[in-house]
Amino acid sequence: MNALGLVLLPFAGAVAIWLLPRDNRTAARALGTLVALATLALTPAWATRAFSVRWLSRPFAAAFHFGATPLSYWLVLLLAVCSACAIFAANVPRARDFIAWMLVLEGSMLGLFLARDLLVFALFWDLMLLPVFFVLIGWGRHHGTAWRYLIYNFSGGLALLFATAAFGVLDGSTDVIGRGDVHLIGSWVPWIFAGFAFAFLVKTPVFPFHTWMPATYSDAPGPMVAVVSGVQSKAGLYGFIAITLAFLPDYLHQYAGLLVGLGALSILYGAFVALVQNDAKRIVAYSSLSHLGLIVVAIVAFQPLALAGAVLYMVAHGLFSAALFLALGFVEEREGTSLLSRLRGLGRDNPRLSGALCIGALAALGLPGLAGFAGEIAILIGVYQSGLVWVTAIALAGIVLASAYVLRMFQDVMNGPVSPDLPVRPDLTWREGLAIAPLAAALILLGVNPHAVLTASSAQSPPVATGAIEPPR
Amino acid sequence: MTIAVTAADWMAVMPIVVLASAGLLVLLADVFARSHSPRYLSIAIGALGVLGTAYLCAKGYGENFAAFSDGFVLGGFTVAFEEIVLLATLGSLILYGTIGKDDRIAGAVALMLWSACGAMLMAGASSLMTIFLGLELLSLALYCLCGLADRATSREAALKYLILSSTASALLLYGMALLFGATGSVQLADFTSAALASSPLFWLGTGMFFVGIAFKLSLVPFHLWAPDVYEGAPLPVTAYMSVATKAATVAVFARFAYAALPAGISGRLLLPMWILAAVSMIAGNVGMLAQTDLKRLLAFSGIAQIGYVVAALAGATSLGLRYALYYLVAYAFMNLGAFAVAAALSDDGEQGSRLASYRGLARRRPFAAAAMTVFLVALAGLPPTAGFLGKILILSSSALAGYAWLGGILLVGTAISIYAYAKVVRLMYEPGETSAARAGTVAPLAWASVAVCLVFVVAMAFYPFTPSNVLPLVK
Repeated sequence: MNALGLVLLPFAGAVAIWLLPRDNRTAARALGTLVALATLALTPAWATRAFSVRWLSRPFAAAFHFGATPLSYWLVLLLAVCSACAIFAANVPRARDFIAWMLVLEGSMLGLFLARDLLVFALFWDLMLLPVFFVLIGWGRHHGTAWRYLIYNFSGGLALLFATAAFGVLDGSTDVIGRGDVHLIGSWVPWIFAGFAFAFLVKTPVFPFHTWMPATYSDAPGPMVAVVSGVQSKAGLYGFIAITLAFLPDYLHQYAGLLVGLGALSILYGAFVALVQNDAKRIVAYSSLSHLGLIVVAIVAFQPLALAGAVLYMVAHGLFSAALFLALGFVEEREGTSLLSRLRGLGRDNPRLSGALCIGALAALGLPGLAGFAGEIAILIGVYQSGLVWVTAIALAGIVLASAYVLRMFQDVMNGPVSPDLPVRPDLTWREGLAIAPLAAALILLGVNPHAVLTASSAQSPPVATGAIEPPR
Repeated sequence: MTIAVTAADWMAVMPIVVLASAGLLVLLADVFARSHSPRYLSIAIGALGVLGTAYLCAKGYGENFAAFSDGFVLGGFTVAFEEIVLLATLGSLILYGTIGKDDRIAGAVALMLWSACGAMLMAGASSLMTIFLGLELLSLALYCLCGLADRATSREAALKYLILSSTASALLLYGMALLFGATGSVQLADFTSAALASSPLFWLGTGMFFVGIAFKLSLVPFHLWAPDVYEGAPLPVTAYMSVATKAATVAVFARFAYAALPAGISGRLLLPMWILAAVSMIAGNVGMLAQTDLKRLLAFSGIAQIGYVVAALAGATSLGLRYALYYLVAYAFMNLGAFAVAAALSDDGEQGSRLASYRGLARRRPFAAAAMTVFLVALAGLPPTAGFLGKILILSSSALAGYAWLGGILLVGTAISIYAYAKVVRLMYEPGETSAARAGTVAPLAWASVAVCLVFVVAMAFYPFTPSNVLPLVK
């Protein structure tokens, strides 16, 4: 089998789950977890085996071409881990439908990361909207959230569609991801760049296109947010590296100032807003804005170390934001709220839950020894070496602020006197613990041995090759 | 001048003759089989007639023959549009399986078949006379079909359609008269002379001709009739009008735009039509936002969708025509599928069209809700459906033809439309109160139609087939 099989597996799983009886939560979760674990287990074997079949020959050549690049390989692994954990942890009403949608989301993101053709990339980019939209209308609490998510991301999707079509018309083929010999020339190229950049900035998201994000993250059930924030937000960053940086480096360099500015703004804006939020999930949401801004800065710094750090931090951020959202999802399930003003002193009766949240929180604030730190330090050194000193200063400020808001969140939820008006619930069950443990383990593993990702990402992928991304003059 | 009609001429229109005879047969059979479920008998004869006609039609694909003194041209172009019309006819008349009173089905099916004859005539028409003949045959049958339901809105729709459509026909006819005055001929082939560029009569005639066309296509600002008529007409008729009428009119317009204009000025002559398409793509999608009735929603949706099709023709490239055809077929399956779901859910043709009755459908009828979702998602242009690929193809071909701005407007229109389509999806899937449960009707024909449409809507995205031999000919 090959990469296509990997993409189709979760979709097949979703269909199988929909065929189960509606109320059979256990069977749905078991089957869902099984499919997600199978996907994870098969990823090393199948992801790199390419599959290609002609799709279009006119107006430009396009193919259903799947296969991991070194960069996407890590994101696929991240996705497989996060999805398996999230599905295993899922404990929501109407679990069958929810888990099926989770698998659809996993399948469409697998397709996105494994796609070697821009048109296929765009197809899965748009397909990815549907499961999140359906979960938001089915399980979200507020009416507006689903709309905001859909309209923002669909607009981004259309911009991507436009850019893809124009790319295909100009280049004659969209079967290009991972190829290094594509050079676009023509008066449309700035528009193509703008289309890609808009789509990626919205999806990541980066200030000022982020307004769909906090609502979505705080509204959707924890397991879904864990995957959306952990992995889907990487789709935009992956696009920046695999598409914009690879095919339009001149334009990326030309607009690097603007993107660095937006990234820096995101770092500060996200951090400051996170400081004053009352909802724990919103704090993590805004912290994501801040962290993802840092990655955007790292990508457009045009510095090999910064780029390698960006890839590492993408994986690290995926792991710790998934862990945080899962843990906060458990908190919300127990107490019925994620508001800091209501939560207090959970740590005393829930030491395991407190520990799980603690590992995620420490990784988020960049504690050495955990994956977040390794990525951050690589990015900081790289960005500093590229000459963007003031941005390095802003990034440092963002990291300092991260300690403030993350610790505030953790303290308010876990420490302090036990609040009498909160229901007393049992600590993490073995299932919940098992769901979050792989994420914590991976955070520690990558924290002490970041080289696995750092070297793989810089050694093999052409645009990421060390020194290959000299800023064009 | 003597007009010689040869056997070959008759062979060229044989599919149309067969279809018209099938209509007569439906009526005859109805007379003799009064007591034994005439509904299914009529539908069966009609469907068989359509299938037979489609088979006969397909044989003309490789032909290049002008019949009846160059009034009707047989070729790939004609056949492609004829097949789309037949597809729409089959998909629509099947819906009579659940809708309408038993004793009226035979008449309705026969009228629909004859209307399709007119549409097929339009697909091959290469003279002004044939165009008008086909158009009137199409429209006259439709006036009756619109009024066949026992509702005030149905009669209102029929009258509205009659009056407004006649006005448009009058404009079209006047335009034709002016064209005849300018050229001294009714043959489209005679309109390509460069000398016509300076003839004000020709410009005026073309303009009025296009107004008539735009009305039939319900392009903004000539669209106001469409929502009312779609809402009032019986569901199968609405389904038919939304696809067959439009396909036939697109055929007339495409032949005119591709083959019957003086080369030097065709760009300027056609520009107003591209602008109308652009306006329709925006206004149609904006119009959808406030609708509470599925048929009205799909009427506005159709206005925008046909805008996409016309936009594909901009620049008159062969690639553009192929993608317009691709999108028309995709649109036919999406629309017919959506109407089939509505028909399968309705008791008398009306329940299934109020959007409020879709609330909570996902829990009552999960498959119906899922199918409707796929069709709406396809209309919105999301993957994995033909709507997604169709938009990419139109986008690329309009860019290649030098009309990138139309592609841009297509995207803006699509961005607007997502809210309207997703609103229906949300109604079906949101938790909470469901609307009063209705007795589920058994509608095997409609469900079969839904299944076929589903398969094609998805499969067309992965196997994009566009016929290559479709450039319109005039002789």
